[in-house]
Amino acid sequence: MRNRHNLAVVLSAVVLVGCAALILSQGVNAAGEGKITGTVKLDGPAPHMKGIDMSKDPYCSKAHASDPAHYETYVAGANGGLANVVLYIDGWTGAAQASNAVLVFDQRNCMYTPHVLAMDTGESFKVQTSDQTAHNIHPNPNPMTGNIPWNQSQPPGSPPVEKSWKATEFIPVKCNIHPWMNGWFAVVKGPYATSDENGNFTINNVPPGNYTVTAWHEAAGTQTQKVTVAAGAAASANFTFKAK
Amino acid sequence: MQVSDRFRFRNILQLASSFAAVALVLASIVLTCSQPANALPAFARKYGLRCSACHESWPMLNYFGQKFKDNGYQLMNDRDAPIWQNPGYWPVVFRITPIWHRVSVGKVQVDTYTAGAPDGGQAIQRVSSSGFDLSGLDFHTGGTLEKNISFYLLPSSDPTGAFHFEQVFVRFDNIFHSSWFNFKLGRFELDNLLSEKRILTLTGNGGIYQTYHFIPQGDGNIFGQIGDNQLGIEYLGHSADDRTRISASLVSSSDGNVNLSTTANAYTGFFAASQAFDAGRLGVQRVGFYAMAGEASTYYLTEGGVPIGGSGIGNKSFSREGFVGQFYFGPHVGLTVVTQHGSDNAWFGQGYGNAEATDGNGGTTATCSSPAPGCPLNNVPGTPLPAGAQSPSWNGATFEGHYIYSPQLIFIGRYEVEKMSQQANGAACTACLQSSSGTFTASGATPSNFGNISTYTIGFRYNPFMTSRAGLAWHNEYNWLHQDGTGPANLTTGALTNINTSEILMGLDFDF
Amino acid sequence: MRTRLEKWSLLLSAAAVFVLPTVSSAQLSTSDIDTRLGTESHVGNITGHAKDAKGDYRRYCVGCHGPLGDGNGENAPYMQPPMYQQPRDFQLGIFKCRSTPTGTLPTDQDLYDAITRGFDRSNMPQWNTLSKQQRADLVAWVKHFSPRWVGEKPGTPIPIPPEPEVTAERIKAGRDVFARMQCWKCHGVQGMANGPSASTLQDDLGRPIAAFNFTDGTRPKCGDTDQDIYRIFMTGLDGTPMPSFADNIKPDEAWDLVFYLRTFMSQKSKEKEMAKQLALKPVDPNAPAGQQ
Repeated sequence: MRNRHNLAVVLSAVVLVGCAALILSQGVNAAGEGKITGTVKLDGPAPHMKGIDMSKDPYCSKAHASDPAHYETYVAGANGGLANVVLYIDGWTGAAQASNAVLVFDQRNCMYTPHVLAMDTGESFKVQTSDQTAHNIHPNPNPMTGNIPWNQSQPPGSPPVEKSWKATEFIPVKCNIHPWMNGWFAVVKGPYATSDENGNFTINNVPPGNYTVTAWHEAAGTQTQKVTVAAGAAASANFTFKAK
Repeated sequence: MQVSDRFRFRNILQLASSFAAVALVLASIVLTCSQPANALPAFARKYGLRCSACHESWPMLNYFGQKFKDNGYQLMNDRDAPIWQNPGYWPVVFRITPIWHRVSVGKVQVDTYTAGAPDGGQAIQRVSSSGFDLSGLDFHTGGTLEKNISFYLLPSSDPTGAFHFEQVFVRFDNIFHSSWFNFKLGRFELDNLLSEKRILTLTGNGGIYQTYHFIPQGDGNIFGQIGDNQLGIEYLGHSADDRTRISASLVSSSDGNVNLSTTANAYTGFFAASQAFDAGRLGVQRVGFYAMAGEASTYYLTEGGVPIGGSGIGNKSFSREGFVGQFYFGPHVGLTVVTQHGSDNAWFGQGYGNAEATDGNGGTTATCSSPAPGCPLNNVPGTPLPAGAQSPSWNGATFEGHYIYSPQLIFIGRYEVEKMSQQANGAACTACLQSSSGTFTASGATPSNFGNISTYTIGFRYNPFMTSRAGLAWHNEYNWLHQDGTGPANLTTGALTNINTSEILMGLDFDF
Repeated sequence: MRTRLEKWSLLLSAAAVFVLPTVSSAQLSTSDIDTRLGTESHVGNITGHAKDAKGDYRRYCVGCHGPLGDGNGENAPYMQPPMYQQPRDFQLGIFKCRSTPTGTLPTDQDLYDAITRGFDRSNMPQWNTLSKQQRADLVAWVKHFSPRWVGEKPGTPIPIPPEPEVTAERIKAGRDVFARMQCWKCHGVQGMANGPSASTLQDDLGRPIAAFNFTDGTRPKCGDTDQDIYRIFMTGLDGTPMPSFADNIKPDEAWDLVFYLRTFMSQKSKEKEMAKQLALKPVDPNAPAGQQ
């Protein structure tokens, strides 16, 4: 108990020092904003994803009759690109990102679309259902962070649930009725991107400066890279994960 | 503990005063060195609650424990039946009490010696004895057999190893899904809010409530002792939160002695009711009353002058009644008060009643032929009640205060007083029978204070560790008892003397 | 030593911000908790003070809930689901029985009622032997374990309209709600906790948990009045698979559902009688939505 506590103190100190260093190193530049682009790849063949037995709910199994469902822990493209990796800037101290599109977390064919939904703290998102079977949407954050778990029913035709999260955290989401359904809310601070099925991503609206880009994958872990963003230009950052 | 245990420590030994110091040192060594064994008091182990949840200080119950008991040893959460019990549950508790104690009796008539030989003379002097001791061994076993059916079995050994059954009963609770219908059948303690079986003190005189056992000197009625386990059936009803309690029992007038040998064909009723109320910051207070009314035989058929067990007739009446209050003054201080007014029929006052000397534990030790000195009297047909004989009656009260420093440490202080209000032998007495104690011959009124008792007990119990799995109390207490007129008669004047007895006890009370 | 260093560098290179939340929930120390000893509760006109409950907590509660209120008392390992629920972790501030919406803190009254009522089919007894003041003090004490009460306010209790008269129409309407909400997925079409998803249910800590069986004569955990049942499905039982239906069931429909649920319960009720007369059949799980 005490050790954990000490660890927490040390880590918070590290974070504080890191933040301070970032603020000092980052000259305020009013010139045009840049972006960070790149690709996330999976080293080696993609792990086999188990198929999902949905026979307990006929609606679900019917929906996947021609296209059997698989778990989505690793979704890799033909070129080895790794999808569902969240990229964001470590220790972001700038303003919150203006949301230009409404984030939607859909329950479709007894799966979550997208599997990972990235968002800024305080950014609102919608949970909706396209299914004709009942779900419950049950994110399970750690309440100690300030994100409070909730659990709402989503029977067919439910109105969308609009929510937001206070603190940065990778929050697992599940449906208790369909235990195979799992997804993530990746709550970060500042600009972010999620890699597509080819592993490509672009973090927009990044002011010039030196940054540490973090790539997070639900199973493969996290990686970081230092990048320098010039005014109006695209900096590049590529990541390669090993499946665990 | 039964009334006959009172004098069990009175073997006369020489006091070596250094024993006290040695015992203290030993007690501390035992305390500091002993590892808590994986001892598992039965109910705490079953439910995972600490001892302190149910016991103000083990074994005395608090209100929550009383409710648990009143529900038939159930928390009422639908997890009370045995199928829900953790496999580690074994519903047996052993209680042993290794102690050191010292008894000092103020006046004993002893032989005098000249040059090493008895000189035929007698003197009255204080006799003190001390030593290590055991106060016996209890096996408690009890619990639910099925939802709402429970049992309790308490075989108990006296210090010699002889066993008897203190408590044996089954209970049926929440009949018709109502907390107002509960029954108990067997040998059990009457529904005393201040339970003597859960007393926090252990000495001969301080380990019982005098109020629960008081019998006027020479009185033959042993059947009105509300502190003793009795044989019978009890109805109990209570509100769901146990704020309101009401009970009525019908017991044999046998003082709990089995086999219908002591007396038979006579019954006693006991009724108790109480109400608790919330007094804000002070805590939950409870007040109530109890009444016992019954009959017991005074006449036994005899064969060759010897009473035939179970043949009692000639029933006469007796009664006990009083108030009970359990008061709290915040989280640390509690006071329990029990009052009693007792009254026996004049026949009992003259020594009729108990035909057989009992061992106090449900058996009989000797059969007396009657009438004979030292033996109970038999009310043979045609016996007249002596002129001037009257119903003895008295008033008593027990005040027991607790200072609960923490769930692990409790200090106890108790004062009890028993005062005769009417002696069996009135002023008109000319041929009243001699008191069975043989200490005075009645002619005219018995002194009004004869047999009065006042006693003080102080002590503390400290549980060095408190988990849900073990009970070990380090126990220390001191008792002082004063009784009027019952000391040995003055050797020259024959005058009545008062007697003071004191006791110190320290030791360990194990519950595992 | 080496592995330890590696671990450290790994941890530091990872986003340190995110490491904090992933440390196990029981992370508060006594000194953290003690800073909140001044916590108060307000139940009716009684004000409870956390510091006054210290002795009672030690006497009655600590064996299961533990000295840090994290549900890791000495007996917690022996309370295994599904026989028992494990003791609540007060540090998280997440409670099943609330009058407030899902994801919000319960009111002081909710906690007071939980202490008074206990939890059926768990090891938590009814503490109605304690005085009102003692219970209010314990509510404050329970709150003081969690930092959530410092910054957050309890949710606003969901409104419960007055209970309408039970009618056969309402019971039938309740059956439709039961079908539409697909309550049977866990609770079964006859309320026997044997729905297709019942066997895979887990609580928020990943421990198996059973759906409520309406038919076996036990009481719902959060109370068994009609209002309690209304409240249970409208607020959800946080920390369990039971979600809130507040967004999907209108207040009037909610009463219909309460009446229909009563028909499952073994206790005698008007609803049960009426259902018998109506010869109501259980809902058909295979019927298309909206065609029960």
